[in-house]
Amino acid sequence: MNTTAKLTSSSIKMFVRNRQAVFFTLFVPIVIMTIFGLLGFDNVPKIDVGVVQEPANQHVFSDQLKQISALDVHFGTEDDERARLADGDRAAVLLIPAAVDQRQLTPLSPATITVLKNVGKPQEAGTVVSLVRQMLDQATLAAAQAPTLFQLDVQEVNARNLKYIDFLLPGIVALAIMQMAVFSVAFVFVDYKEKGILKRLLATPMKPFQFVSANVITRLLVAVVQAAILIVVGVLVFKAHVIGSYWLLLPSVILGGVMFLGLGFTISGLAKTVEAVPAIANLVVFPMLFLGGTFFPLDIMPTWLQSIVQYLPLTYLSDALRSVMTESASFTAISHDLFWMLGWSAVLVFLANLTFGFEEKRV
Amino acid sequence: MLRRLLIALVTADIITVDRLTKRYGDLTAVDGISFSVRQGETFGILGPNGAGKTTTLEMIEGLKGITSGTAVLGGHDVAQQARTVKSLIGVQLQASSFFDGLNLKELIETFAALYGRTVDAMQLLRQVQLEEKWKSQVKELSGGQKQRLSIAVALVNDPKVLFLDEPTTGLDPQARRNLWDLISGIKRQGKTIILTTHYMEEAEVLCDRVAIMDHAKIVALDTPLGLIRQADVGSTVEFHVDRQPDLDALKQLPGVEQAVSENHAIRIITKQPEQTLPALFEFKAKAGLAVTNVQMHQATLEDVFLKLTGHLLRE
Ligand SMILES: Nc1ncnc2c1ncn2[C@@H]1O[C@H](COP(=O)(O)OP(=O)(O)OP(=O)(O)O)[C@@H](O)[C@H]1O
Ligand SMILES: [Mg+2]
Repeated sequence: MNTTAKLTSSSIKMFVRNRQAVFFTLFVPIVIMTIFGLLGFDNVPKIDVGVVQEPANQHVFSDQLKQISALDVHFGTEDDERARLADGDRAAVLLIPAAVDQRQLTPLSPATITVLKNVGKPQEAGTVVSLVRQMLDQATLAAAQAPTLFQLDVQEVNARNLKYIDFLLPGIVALAIMQMAVFSVAFVFVDYKEKGILKRLLATPMKPFQFVSANVITRLLVAVVQAAILIVVGVLVFKAHVIGSYWLLLPSVILGGVMFLGLGFTISGLAKTVEAVPAIANLVVFPMLFLGGTFFPLDIMPTWLQSIVQYLPLTYLSDALRSVMTESASFTAISHDLFWMLGWSAVLVFLANLTFGFEEKRV
Repeated sequence: MLRRLLIALVTADIITVDRLTKRYGDLTAVDGISFSVRQGETFGILGPNGAGKTTTLEMIEGLKGITSGTAVLGGHDVAQQARTVKSLIGVQLQASSFFDGLNLKELIETFAALYGRTVDAMQLLRQVQLEEKWKSQVKELSGGQKQRLSIAVALVNDPKVLFLDEPTTGLDPQARRNLWDLISGIKRQGKTIILTTHYMEEAEVLCDRVAIMDHAKIVALDTPLGLIRQADVGSTVEFHVDRQPDLDALKQLPGVEQAVSENHAIRIITKQPEQTLPALFEFKAKAGLAVTNVQMHQATLEDVFLKLTGHLLRE
C-alpha cells in the first residue's frame, strides 16, 4: 500500500479519536456561534420614554403611546422620572396635564404637554418629540373635522436584509479553520518532537515530506467537513441565509487551510515544548480573532487600523467566505482575496520550512 | 579456496565501523572507534552513562551526522546511502514513544507502510506476547510491554540488523528476563543484533561479543569469556565493613590489584586470593574493623570493567 495513503488514513483515525481536537474543531465554534447569535444584535433597542400623569385619569393618550412599537413607555411620578432622565435611563419624559384626557379641548384653551429631552440622546429624544407631535396633530385634525387631502398607502415588500447571524456565520467558519489548522498542527507536532516520535520516524526510510503531507491532507479534509457542519448548523439551527454557491467556498476553505497549516508548522518549529505552543500561537492568533472580520465588519474600526488589519490572513478568508455566502459573489469577485491567501500561503509555508524540522535542533 | 570463500561469506561482516567520530563543539562524544559486527552475531556495547553508546548507534543508523570516519552496513556507506541502510535495519531507540490514537495493530501496520510493506501485525504481536493487547493504545501498556512493542515495531521490515538501545533499562528483574528470552528468540532466527546496556549480566547472557566503551572510546572488545581471560582479573573478594577503612592500605596487601568501596561494601580484586585473604584478616584485626558478609567469586565483566577503567560501571 502506498505509504502516504496509509499514513493519511492513520492520521485521520488519530485526529478523529482525539477528543480535544474534535472539541476545538466543532464544539467551540458552535458555542461561539450560539453566544453571539443569542446576543441579538439585530433588534434595534426601544426608546425609553417616561410619562407623568394623574393616575386616576383615563389614559387615552398614553394608551396610544403604548401602541407605538419603537417606544418603551414607563409611568411614574414627576420626581422619579426626572431622576431617571438625569441618570440617562430615559430618552425623554412627557408631562401630561389632566386636561388632555379629561377636558373637552377647544382651540381657545389648548392643553400643554411638556417634553423633557435628554440632551445626551438627541436622536432618540427627537424621535419621541416628532411621534408625539404627529399624534397631537392627528387628534387636532380629527377634532376639527378637516377633510383628508393626502392618503398614505403603505405596502410591504420582502427585502433581503443582512441579519447578524448571516454576517457571523462565514466569520465563524473562517475562525474555526484557523484555530483547527494552527493548534492541531502545533500541539501535535511539538508533542511528536518532544516524545521522540519524529526521530523514530526518521529511523525508517520514509521521507519527512510524506508524513507532513499525510497530516496536511488530513487537516484539509477536516477543514472541509468542519466548514460543512458549521454551515449546516448555522442554517438549520440559527436560521442563517446562505445565497452563494457552496462549491465556490471550497477554494477559500482549502487555501485558508493551507495558509494556517503553514502558520501551525512555523509555530511547531518555534515552540520547544508543548507548553510553549499556546503562548506563541495566541500571540499571532488572538489579534486576528478580534480584528480579522469575524465578529464585526472592518468598517467600524478607525481608518488607520483598517489599513493594517485588511492584510491579515484571517481577514481575507472571512471576506472571501462572506462575499460568497451573503452576496453570492462570483469567482472573479473573490479572486482578490484568493490571490492574497495564495501569497500568505507561500510566505507561511516558506517560514515553516525555515523553522520546522524533524530533528531536534540542539547545538 | 572454495572453503575459505564460504567461510568468508558465512562469517561476513555486516557492519564495519572505522575510526568513527562524533564531536559536539568541544565535546567528543565518540572518539575514533573501530569495530565490525559479523552476520548473525549479537554484539553488545557496554558502558556507563555518557560513554557514547547511543551516539555510536545513531550514527550507524543514519540518524546522526558523522563527524569523521566511516560506517558501512551491508556494503552501504551510511553517510552516502542512509535511506538504503534504514530500509535494512530495525531500530529501537533509547527514548521514544509512539502515536496515541492508534491501537497496537494499526500502529504496526502504519510502521510497515513506512517501509512500503504490509505485515501480519497479529503475528508480530504474538511474537512479543502482546497478541491479546492488540486493541490497546500504547499509553495503556506497562514499561516492559512498551519495550516489547517497540521491538515488534523494529521488526516490521524483517530487518537484517536489529539495533536495541538499552532495551531493559528501567525494567524490573522479571520483565528483564522476559525480554532476554524474547531477544534470544530473535537471535536464534539468525538476525544480527547490536545492543547497548549498562548491565554486565545482560551482556554476558545475550552477547556473542562485547565492546566495552568508556569516555567515547572502546577500551576492550572480545567475547565475554575472552574479556575476562584477557583482563586476567583473578578473583573478587567482597565484604561489608562498619566504617570506611583506608583503601590505600588495602591496595598494599599482597596480590591486590584494585580496591574500591561502595557505601559499606568493599571490593578487592586479587590474583592470589590464598595470600590476600590471610593478610586481609590480619589487617582487619589491626585496624579493629568489623567485617561481615565476606564473599569470594570468579571475575565477571563488572570486574573487567573495573580493572580496565578504574571505576565502577554504575556510579
Ligand atoms: N545532541 C547532543 N548535543 C550535545 N551533546 C550531546 C548530544 N547528544 C549526546 N551528547 C553528549 O555526548 C555524550 C555521549 O552521549 P550518549 O547519549 O551517546 O551516551 P550513552 O553512552 O548512550 O549514555 P546513556 O547510557 O546515558 O544512554 C554525552 O556526554 C552527551 O552529553
Ligand atoms: Mg544512551
